[in-house]
Amino acid sequence: MATHSEPSNRSSLGIRASVLALVLAMVLTACGSSTDADLIESGPLEGTTITVYSGRGEDLIQPVLDLFEAQTGATVDVRYGGSAEMALTIDTEGDNSPADVYIGQSPGAVGFLDQNGHLAALSSDTKGLISGDYQASTGNWIGVTGRVRVLVYNTELVDPAELPATVLDLTKPEFAGLVGVAPSNGSFQDFVTGMRGMLGDDATADWLAGMAANNAPNYAKNGPIVDAVTRGEVPMGLVNHYYLLEFLEENPDLPAANHVFEPGDIGSMLITSAAGVVTYSDDTEAAEALIAFLLSPEAQELSANGEKEYPLLASVAAPDGLAPLTDLASITVDLNDLAGGLEGTQELIDNSGIQK
Amino acid sequence: MFAPNRLLRLAAIVVAAVFTAPLVFIVYRNVLLGADFGEIFTTSRTWHPFLRSIGLGVSVAAASAVVGTTLAWLTIRTDVPGAAFWRVLSPLPLVFPSFVGATALISAFAKGGILDRLVEPFGFELPELAGFWAALAVLTLFTYPYVFLPVAARLRRMPASLEESARLLGRSPGQVFRTIVVPQIWTSILAGSLLVFLYTISDFGAVQLLRYDTMTRVIWSNGLSNQPLFMALSLLLAITAITAVTLESRSLRSATVFPDSAKRSGLLIKLQRSRWLAAGGLGLFFLLALVGPVVSLADWVLQGIRSGRTRGALAISTDGLWGAIGSTVMVSLAAAALTVIVVLPISYLSARHRGKLSSITSAAVVVGFALPGIVLGLAMVWWFSRNDLLNPFYQTLPLLLLGYMVRFGAQASLTSEAAVAAVPGRVEDAARMLGAGRIRRFFTVELPIIVPGLLASAGLVLLSTMKELPVTLTLRPNNFDTLATRIWASMDNVSFAKAGLESLVLLAVSAVLTWFLVLRRSDATS
Repeated sequence: MATHSEPSNRSSLGIRASVLALVLAMVLTACGSSTDADLIESGPLEGTTITVYSGRGEDLIQPVLDLFEAQTGATVDVRYGGSAEMALTIDTEGDNSPADVYIGQSPGAVGFLDQNGHLAALSSDTKGLISGDYQASTGNWIGVTGRVRVLVYNTELVDPAELPATVLDLTKPEFAGLVGVAPSNGSFQDFVTGMRGMLGDDATADWLAGMAANNAPNYAKNGPIVDAVTRGEVPMGLVNHYYLLEFLEENPDLPAANHVFEPGDIGSMLITSAAGVVTYSDDTEAAEALIAFLLSPEAQELSANGEKEYPLLASVAAPDGLAPLTDLASITVDLNDLAGGLEGTQELIDNSGIQK
Repeated sequence: MFAPNRLLRLAAIVVAAVFTAPLVFIVYRNVLLGADFGEIFTTSRTWHPFLRSIGLGVSVAAASAVVGTTLAWLTIRTDVPGAAFWRVLSPLPLVFPSFVGATALISAFAKGGILDRLVEPFGFELPELAGFWAALAVLTLFTYPYVFLPVAARLRRMPASLEESARLLGRSPGQVFRTIVVPQIWTSILAGSLLVFLYTISDFGAVQLLRYDTMTRVIWSNGLSNQPLFMALSLLLAITAITAVTLESRSLRSATVFPDSAKRSGLLIKLQRSRWLAAGGLGLFFLLALVGPVVSLADWVLQGIRSGRTRGALAISTDGLWGAIGSTVMVSLAAAALTVIVVLPISYLSARHRGKLSSITSAAVVVGFALPGIVLGLAMVWWFSRNDLLNPFYQTLPLLLLGYMVRFGAQASLTSEAAVAAVPGRVEDAARMLGAGRIRRFFTVELPIIVPGLLASAGLVLLSTMKELPVTLTLRPNNFDTLATRIWASMDNVSFAKAGLESLVLLAVSAVLTWFLVLRRSDATS
């Protein structure tokens, strides 16, 4: 629960903007010099506690939050769990939610919160930090880092020259039984939602039916698919890019590589981890200051280098060896604009028979 | 003077009311969200997974009944070499969180996995671990202790006279087992199998990884996208659980309850030449149920140690591990004690005053165990976050313990009930005739007899709590880590070496606790 030292009769845009500006100014100066926390005796958010519900793992986000605490003096109380579970928890808590900030791994879970009215509007200062391509069209959540959908393939079993330029070609008969998918996984669902936004429901249903007809082998999630591909159990699989990078770090000799589809293809859409301010927060400025910090150069570098993800701040370079961000389709559809929202996506997946 | 009978009924009603909390939540949300029940049964996309869940649940329950009973009989009633050693090993597979156990076995069986490397030189090819049979095998390996523990407790207390007579009449050990032993331990087998059934229908991790599409997958994938369906399907699982427990208690009513003897029976079946065969069989079994997953996990850890990395899949870190061990031991001990004590009135009522009320109270207790953990967690979130009276407990340890109690109450009530039912009536009668009051009779006469059964209950709750994940993640205080939450975080982060180490620690801690608190104690009290 956010406990601010001030009485709660504020919340004017003016204060909000000034806190933001202060934090940003501080972050920018800290960037140039040392990051030593001891230099800052008392930060602008001293005495404030911000409660974060994070679907992003502790290893990924805690270093960034520690830095925020050191620089602002705020106390960040984090609750870790699955992205969907955290979103469902906030939905169940309703206006008693202790959460000030929600951070999730995928647009699906944060979109669910938005759709159900649990997220507050972000200020234009925050929204101005990164390209509009990576934030909700409702203005209620913003991307933090990105992962890209790829076709992981076994280099001993597959000739890269024969890989398709577009994900839509995977329904062709020559790929029958060769492409592993995880239809019940959140990022596959996000990808299908993205496809609906870009190509429409009919084309999406056709593609899913084609994959089902091709008997695409099912796996629980991304990790097991990449594992199966490196072992040669299945030659290809639709996954997020960074799992393979983790596996290669473990064993650089693994015979597997990521194939990125042609620029703009929905098959290589960017899936953003995302953050939003929970409507019921009693200190939305502090909450928003934290979100703005996640988009500061320092925080972005921490997220990207360490985790091999894409920073979304234009000034921070993409990790080595990854396709440039500008080549990737990104979908940040308002779920309310899609017929049936997430439910519609789930129905399309269920009705296609791709789930075996 | 107060009337103990009325007090017992009142206690059972109050406890049962607490256990209906998740049901109230589901029904309320269901009505509120306006789920269309008709739709569930008319579309194959929910109907088929439901049937698959039931089919898998029944199969795993049957297989666990056979495995758990065989192990209990071999290790308690026969002279199989190393009986005490096998007895300590037997409950352990329960402690693998099913997502860890399944991942470990899948990677052991997979091409290039540790088992594959073992059999490959002999020209064997292992089947891919996926689908119905894989789910049946893996879930049986990790859930048979639900049968083993109560049956073992029952066997310890069973009078040997009938078996002795049968042996004298020249029956073989196998015949004695079938015709004399099984009928006497039937109630415990049934109780344990029901737990296995409930566990299986609520499991998500293992079936998902083994690529067998069941009801929990449908429930889960609709969590965000279709809440009315999410709630309706959860309700369906709860109804299934209530039906199963009602059927079980019906069949118990017709079963003859054989009283326990107050002394441990001295009978040991001499297996003679087949004793080494039996030991070999046990060895082979634990090779699969314990050594397989352990070696697979150790393999991850060794790869990590050899790599010497500080980041990525192979990084090993023990930061916070001690704290997590302490937390795990603390909450699982507290949850075990709390659960066994709180549900005792319900077990007692079912065993002694079987009737309408006992049917309702024992049905209420099982609901929490049949629901997917996340649904139970959300139910407690709903009760505690929205209510001014209960809100101070939200995201605190007492709520977490309550969550464990509601989750695992069925394990304690079913196991304890079998123990209470086996107290010989004549002991009670004798004590009553000597003028002992009800309460005094309970503490001086009955309790000593049912203690092994209660310890078995506590053991089940203890091991289940140690590995519990979804309820822990949903209800824990912020920054409160158990070994299970750490394993989950490591796996989520693809840090296999770390996950392997944490899983091995979990297994070791469970082994020590099981030995100290359950097996050694129950051996000593015999």
